[in-house]
Amino acid sequence: MERRDPKNAVRAGIDTGGTFTDFVIWSAEGLINHKVLSTPHDPSEAIFRGLGDVSRVEQGVFIVHGTTVATNALLEGKGGRIALITTAGFEDVLAIGRQTRRELYCLRPEDRFELIPPGLRFGVRERTLYTGRIEKTVDRNEVLRVIGRIRKAGVEAVAVCLLHSYVNPRNEEVVARELERAGLMASVSSRLLPEHREYERMSTTSVNAYLMPVMDRYLNELGRRLGRSDLRIMQSNEGYIAPARARREPIKTALSGPAGGVVGARMLAMAAGMPNVISFDMGGTSTDVSLIEGRIRRTHETRIGDFPVRLPIIDIHSVGAGGGSIAYADRGGSLRVGPQSAGADPGPACYGLGDLPTVTDANLCLGRLDADFFLGGRMRIFPERSRAAVGALARRIGKSVRETALGIVAVANANMEKAIRVISVERGHDPRRFALFPFGGAGGMHAVEMAAHLGMPAIIVPRNAGVLSAFGLLMADPVKDHAKSLMKAGDRISVAELEKEFRGLEEESRRDMAEDGFAAKDLILERSLDCRYLGQSYEIDVPYRRAATARRAFLEAFHSRHKKLYSYRHDGRPVEIVNLRVKAVAVTPKVPLVRERGSGAMDPRAVTGRQPIVYGSSVCRGAVIDRSRLRPGNILRGPTLIIDPESTTFLPPGYAARVDGYANLIIRKAARR
Amino acid sequence: MKTCDPIELELFKNVFVAVSEEMGAVLGRTALSPNIKERKDYSCSLFNDRGETLAQGSYIPVHLGAMPLSVQAALRAVAFEPGDLVILNDPYRGGTHLPDITCISPVFLGTRLSFFVANRAHHADVGGMTPGSMPLATELFQEGVIIPPLKLYSRGRMNREVFDLLLSNVRTPDERRGDLLAQVAANEVGRSRLTEAVARFGASKVRLYSRLIQDYTERFLRVTLKAIPDGSYAFRDSLDNDGISDRPIEIAVRVTVRGDRALVDFGGSSPQTAGGVNANLAVTTSAVLYVFRALVEEDIPFNTGLMRPLEIVAPPGSIVNADFPAACAGGNVETSQRIVDVLLGAMSKALPARIPAASQGTMNNVAFGGRDPRRNRAFAYYETIGGGMGAGPGRDGLSGVHTHMTNSLNTPVEALENYLPLTIRSYRLRKGSGGKGRSRGGDGLVREYEFHVPAALTIMSERRRYAPYGLRGGSPGARGRNILLSRGRRTVLGSKVNILLRTGDILRIETPGGGGSGRPKSRR
Repeated sequence: MERRDPKNAVRAGIDTGGTFTDFVIWSAEGLINHKVLSTPHDPSEAIFRGLGDVSRVEQGVFIVHGTTVATNALLEGKGGRIALITTAGFEDVLAIGRQTRRELYCLRPEDRFELIPPGLRFGVRERTLYTGRIEKTVDRNEVLRVIGRIRKAGVEAVAVCLLHSYVNPRNEEVVARELERAGLMASVSSRLLPEHREYERMSTTSVNAYLMPVMDRYLNELGRRLGRSDLRIMQSNEGYIAPARARREPIKTALSGPAGGVVGARMLAMAAGMPNVISFDMGGTSTDVSLIEGRIRRTHETRIGDFPVRLPIIDIHSVGAGGGSIAYADRGGSLRVGPQSAGADPGPACYGLGDLPTVTDANLCLGRLDADFFLGGRMRIFPERSRAAVGALARRIGKSVRETALGIVAVANANMEKAIRVISVERGHDPRRFALFPFGGAGGMHAVEMAAHLGMPAIIVPRNAGVLSAFGLLMADPVKDHAKSLMKAGDRISVAELEKEFRGLEEESRRDMAEDGFAAKDLILERSLDCRYLGQSYEIDVPYRRAATARRAFLEAFHSRHKKLYSYRHDGRPVEIVNLRVKAVAVTPKVPLVRERGSGAMDPRAVTGRQPIVYGSSVCRGAVIDRSRLRPGNILRGPTLIIDPESTTFLPPGYAARVDGYANLIIRKAARR
Repeated sequence: MKTCDPIELELFKNVFVAVSEEMGAVLGRTALSPNIKERKDYSCSLFNDRGETLAQGSYIPVHLGAMPLSVQAALRAVAFEPGDLVILNDPYRGGTHLPDITCISPVFLGTRLSFFVANRAHHADVGGMTPGSMPLATELFQEGVIIPPLKLYSRGRMNREVFDLLLSNVRTPDERRGDLLAQVAANEVGRSRLTEAVARFGASKVRLYSRLIQDYTERFLRVTLKAIPDGSYAFRDSLDNDGISDRPIEIAVRVTVRGDRALVDFGGSSPQTAGGVNANLAVTTSAVLYVFRALVEEDIPFNTGLMRPLEIVAPPGSIVNADFPAACAGGNVETSQRIVDVLLGAMSKALPARIPAASQGTMNNVAFGGRDPRRNRAFAYYETIGGGMGAGPGRDGLSGVHTHMTNSLNTPVEALENYLPLTIRSYRLRKGSGGKGRSRGGDGLVREYEFHVPAALTIMSERRRYAPYGLRGGSPGARGRNILLSRGRRTVLGSKVNILLRTGDILRIETPGGGGSGRPKSRR
């Protein structure tokens, strides 16, 4: 059971990453950050060990956890053994997908990962029509026969997805009940995702089934280790859920860690007084970006690995560009960066193992990293190896080492800028209205130049950029989404009817939240509609407010958003309401963010040295600053490197950084002196 | 002359490709017809002032080689001014077949016409003899409304007369209007993105790299051709028939590779034919470019640079270069696939260890229409169905996918039933239809439609008579079948039919499997 006031005075956000497991812990003594190496064979081991380092686990801790267990199981093909039950004649829908191939111009058949082999895809004779009328009722005996075969096959979980179950789930429920009676884990499409389009619903439901056994085992292991602690699991929709629900709906945790990062970014951006930011998480092999406009934007059209997942998920766009991305000259004479990455092993050339030039090596050649203080001085790196690797590439393309290193950074930036354009420009937002919010180890080295190209006026580099996801987990609330397919023209439905439908969904939300121990008075309920012009295939979500004029308001909101996104509106055309949605947020007590007042005077010990930094066509000598010694109110001017143990920020000439009351760096173009 | 900077080249590649991709995103999201919004049967590209492609954000290879010819035809036909938008579909003036409507917008930098953005989308109906506009016709005039290059917008203003004339000649004007507006919006986005790039990099740089990006693509093809042993490689294969007579139609090719160049000669192919399987030069060019682009293993922008090392000889008046006014609805969708088959067959002799066996070699075009009393409106619908992919050396072919010249998505059953008076009775893999071999061909698909109202049906399909070939001792894939179940009677239909369906009729399409590769006995 979840309580509104957690009995555990110690709260922890724990984010399992590929290399490190990050902790942000809040207790009477204040906030503590911690990092330990991850233990991929059993992620709970690192959690237990790290938590033990900084708190007394046996007394119980309230934990919100971001986990990669689900995503990794899917990407590595290590989920459970599962079966699928569907309408007879449609057993292969999951295998056919949308009848397309990934690569247009590839003569070699691509690799496909089959979630459920043909022998475990079962059809039952039943049919619901698009109107919801049941043409053929499902036969219980047939279902029992199928279940018999499923049991014999040693299946752990079963996905159920029958045609048109989103309008009428009756047949699907019959199958689900028999599965539950037989003691099998069931993932049921009309419960998980009551929306039309059979392949996407089947994919979402099947992936969920595939992850159920994995999540179940993981949570058992974690629960055993954590004893009296209260555990919550972060979902990809920006809120957390209780473990029991995560076991039933593990698919909802797929982007658990990155979601923590976005929640943390929003929190700090709001505190800094800049609610419109684009978060930019640059890691070793990939970069995640997300747009926050006071609120976190969500999408219903994600893919995880090869599979579409149609659940509300924070709209995070990922590109294969990061610090470890390898630069090379292709056969046509173009300088390419990524998507191949040197990863952590062998890693960039400067780690001493590999000899291919990466983005990190380019930054080192340009003096934008402090070789003596890499990962807080915990790791030794070899700048001469970077120069050799970049030098070899420079000879191939007939440029100097410096030009080549600048080129690698420029190309990597272009790849990442494209990702930012996808989540801003392609979604109808002008990036010039947003500040860039870099985190992760490398983001701060690239952010200022990228922001300049995109016309973004400011950059916010948060304190503890290296553990932002864990911080975000600590700051998250429980969130639940409920949706209902409506498929009605906006002019054929009255305000009263809409109101009734919404109330039904809200009732469901309250019930669900009450199950987890949250009182109705602590809930914030948000209504929205997915609308489209009658005949279109893609929906735009618009808020729905209760006011008397609500109906006209949502229609106008839809027209104007359509215009903003696609450059035209179609006032005469009927608007179809496809789905109703209610998002419920339970407001829980938060760790207070303390704003410090600054003196303005800089601690002279903050400057630890000076080093040459390449910027454009010149080399300048820039100060190297120890970020931990900066105080609110301090102002720095570029060229400068600002170093903390997990990340480096490069402040180019012509830019100034101010330290705000929350120890964030706020970077803008410097006023001319 | 300014030389190519490897770093700037990469940055501009990024810009050009991003512009065409953003256009595609807008078109797919705002169109009304399932064929465009669900099946993504469209392409978007960027051109220089001479109508040469710079980059293409595409789902559909068959549009590729053809689009520059559209822009060039428009350039010849109209004097472009800022704010214009030209549309066309005439296969003999820049089009491929009538359902593909192309929208072309000029991009002016100052007063100078510098670039074009264009998109092409397959409309579900453009009039003509039968709903869905894929009729079994004998001349172009029967296939639908013919649009020569003309201005739908002049200086930013819509020409209503053009719109009205067009919409008066199609069965579903409302849907067409929505789709056309989506096409207009896509060009608008392309134009403004390109203008932004010019503001950032400067016009002369953008112009310079619009040339260099073509050289770049060209270099890749030349390197690829150089690695192919010099020689002359011939192959031939047949289309089942043209839907009017039952005579098979032959396509012959001889590919001669010399150093970093290739000559592709279709001499010996059948003359153009009465039925609508004639390909114009644009379609044939697309098929040739597709094959050579696929031989390049790297990820490169698709543009006119690919044309430069290639010479195509297609005898005028033949099935691969038909003269006006030959009917050509199927040239684009069916004949193009067979052209790919013969080209790959020829290349398999040059590169025996690389080329896959034949894929299904058809798009299985199904078009139908009628009146839906329940929704009280006329309907016209068009879709294509995937099949088996040919096996590659050491790799089984994929099952139930579109291959080669198309990659359009299926319409979800639940979306289709919401939209049309029919029920889909099954949609599954056609087990065992892939050719046997050391590597197996992919299986075809089975799709069964039950009609709840009378409807006019056209099927334009292939590989019902001649099976997709195997290679290296592999068996051919199973041939496709079109079956009608009507009032208790089962009839096997031909490759190409045009019939009236009655309420309750069931149409079952079984699509071909892919060819196998290597002797079946050697399969482990």
